[in-house]
Amino acid sequence: MILKYIGRSFKRGCVQLVRRPMYFLLMVIMPILCSWFLLDLIKGGSVQLVPVGIVDLDNSDMSRRVSRNLNGFQQVNICHRFNNFAEARDAVQRGEVLGFFFIPDNLEESALGGRQPVVSFYVNYAYYAPGSMQYKGFKTVSMLVNGGIAQVALRTVGLSNEKIAASLVPYQSHVHMIGNPFINYNYYLNSTFVPCFLSLFILLVTAFSLGLELKSGLSRQWLKTSGNSMFLALVGKLVPQTVLFSAVCWFVQWMMFRCYEFPLNCNPWNMLIAMFLLVVANQSFAVLMYCFVPNFRYGTMLCTLLGMVSFSFSGFSLPHESMYSWVAALGYVMPIKYYFLIMVDQALNGIDLYYSRVYYAALIGFTILPMLLSWRLKKECLNPVYVP
Amino acid sequence: MTEKVKHSKLFLWFVQVLRVCGRELLLVFRDTGVVIFFLLLNALYPVLYSIIYNPEVVRDEPIVAVDDNRTQESRDFVRRINATQEVAVVGYAANMQEAQEAMCNKSCYGILHIPRDFGQNVGREEQTHVSLYCDMSVMMRYKAFFTALSNVTLALGSERMEAVVKPVLNMSGSIVESRQVPVGNSAMGIGSAVLLFILPLVLQQSMILGIAMLHGGSIERRRRNGGRDPMAVEASPGATIIGKMMCHQIIYVLPVIYVLHYVPLMFGFPQNGDILHIICLAVPFIIAVSLMGQTLSAFVNERESVFLLFVFSSVVFVFLTGVSWPRYLMSRLWWLVGDCVPSTWMSNAYVLMQSNGASLYQVQHHYWMLWIQVFVMFVLAYLIERFVNRRRYRSWIAASEDKPRILTRIDMAKNGVG
Repeated sequence: MILKYIGRSFKRGCVQLVRRPMYFLLMVIMPILCSWFLLDLIKGGSVQLVPVGIVDLDNSDMSRRVSRNLNGFQQVNICHRFNNFAEARDAVQRGEVLGFFFIPDNLEESALGGRQPVVSFYVNYAYYAPGSMQYKGFKTVSMLVNGGIAQVALRTVGLSNEKIAASLVPYQSHVHMIGNPFINYNYYLNSTFVPCFLSLFILLVTAFSLGLELKSGLSRQWLKTSGNSMFLALVGKLVPQTVLFSAVCWFVQWMMFRCYEFPLNCNPWNMLIAMFLLVVANQSFAVLMYCFVPNFRYGTMLCTLLGMVSFSFSGFSLPHESMYSWVAALGYVMPIKYYFLIMVDQALNGIDLYYSRVYYAALIGFTILPMLLSWRLKKECLNPVYVP
Repeated sequence: MTEKVKHSKLFLWFVQVLRVCGRELLLVFRDTGVVIFFLLLNALYPVLYSIIYNPEVVRDEPIVAVDDNRTQESRDFVRRINATQEVAVVGYAANMQEAQEAMCNKSCYGILHIPRDFGQNVGREEQTHVSLYCDMSVMMRYKAFFTALSNVTLALGSERMEAVVKPVLNMSGSIVESRQVPVGNSAMGIGSAVLLFILPLVLQQSMILGIAMLHGGSIERRRRNGGRDPMAVEASPGATIIGKMMCHQIIYVLPVIYVLHYVPLMFGFPQNGDILHIICLAVPFIIAVSLMGQTLSAFVNERESVFLLFVFSSVVFVFLTGVSWPRYLMSRLWWLVGDCVPSTWMSNAYVLMQSNGASLYQVQHHYWMLWIQVFVMFVLAYLIERFVNRRRYRSWIAASEDKPRILTRIDMAKNGVG
């Protein structure tokens, strides 16, 4: 008997999926297209060649050497030479350059005379990543100016090269970037943004397909096909979507880890399972929202809002320990947060599966949660009210 | 008014525009869903986003020190790292294994390793090394660790360099001083950088969602009434588009001022732009977005499908503005796609105005691009309204004259009945 109900409910779910081309668009084409968009957009990897300007009021041998050195850096690209400060400022305001290096007049004279001239660099942090890169380039060049002069002076008094190196850079620091040694922006951003984008699609499609039953007034018939069991009705409706979404999400993972060579320092199954759990957890999350607000408009709106905001409060860009504690706590409400933590532990850092056990459990927990509240959805399905 | 003017084509056309505009206003305020998009979303969403990013910078990122040297110099080094704004040393680990364990348990996100010969090298005035291992899951953490470490090593280094160089060059301090001047976003915070890009985008997306939902409602009415919308006003395609656009302009006066002026004020984001210049810039932006919304709503067949069709585009549009990956590094394709979206021009011009204090004259390129978009979007909206929408309505009317319930039956079939 149960098998018959499952079969009927399943068939209904499939028919609905097939009859609306929009589902195909939103479940297959768009997720893959949007993932490709994000991956292709940042395929360059690191922010380089930031367009900057230079104001050289000195025009001496030393100042020209500085600007040549600066242009030799991968981080910045000197695309304008300004005659004065006002011109440079105007170009920054117009957005032609993102910052400039300012060399005062008498740089060489003052430097050699020991009068400590000041070079300044104006960095526009309105563009965050290019701003940080510029700073790195400018800072290194101004260090080199110092080193160059000191090196010549120390050599004239007869110091050995090792001694000179030790006095110019006495503390050598080695920074080891675990899992992402090239500071590849694509690895960092898209290993979380792409799954978060996929979660948004899953939330939206699930919420929409549930709401449509309430809107069209067919929810009673939906329950009847599955023998008045809310659980079977949901299974019949959502399992076809789970299959499709999982296939699409795995394909996107394949793109990430194989085509774009994202770091994968664990058994691939760990990530594949995490992705499958993410799909199911997001579907359950949408059902849960409907259990709270069994209304097409508000249910979908809640899923949309949380899905969009989860890009920010899950702590991909601003780390969670720096957020207000209640915002950080809110991040743990969404399934994507746990996928993110699994991704960091497994794919990026490659640590033992033991440390990620809680996150896997949390994703499974999301699937169980709506079962406890499904009576609310059932009540609404028996008396559907559509508010436009 | 003379009879001649009253019957002139232009006057009649203008009356049509006003009637469309009035009806659209009525439809907007009768529809809770649309009011939520047009007003509530604009009121709450920017605030929510701003609160998330309001801490702006990373402070006291936890790090563990592994000190294999245990001398006064190494302890001093760790103390200096601890004293930076960015990093807090949460403890010493006996060895690297213990530190790794702490990192796996997320009690810290970085390990500072001081080698055995650290103190000796300092004493012998030789080059000495320190290692930092950092978690790369969030870029801002890495930046915090990197900044703290390089600031400490540079400060200590210049102290030692001074001691060596001073007798030779007869001077104190470094030879050439360098100074960083952060312009625009002087707090160097992430909120001030990201939010200014997002604010115009909230306006754009809320408007597109609202317009599409109104259109979806109209389509649903047509399906119920044999292809005719009882709430629609008879008007030419051009008058319909311009009338609706006027209505959106009127409604968006308040959200534009609130989102672009008061939200930065509330959260202390850079506000160097002149409000009048910003409003002048927003005029073509809002017109272009309204026309874009009317063009895109041709894809909408029911009210709620706007969630499916347009919500995800926000993420795409955010990236196209260049907020996280700069536009000058994008490939030609994505650069051009970005050029076609009003928010790209608006966001960038708005950032230049608010952060760098640019005037309207200085962002004239963006301004004119928005006006070009107005023109292009109008042509597109006109073509869609005249040759897609109206043709579709006519075919519906013709079909339902033969079989009165055909439209609702198609709808039911889509929901899995029959």
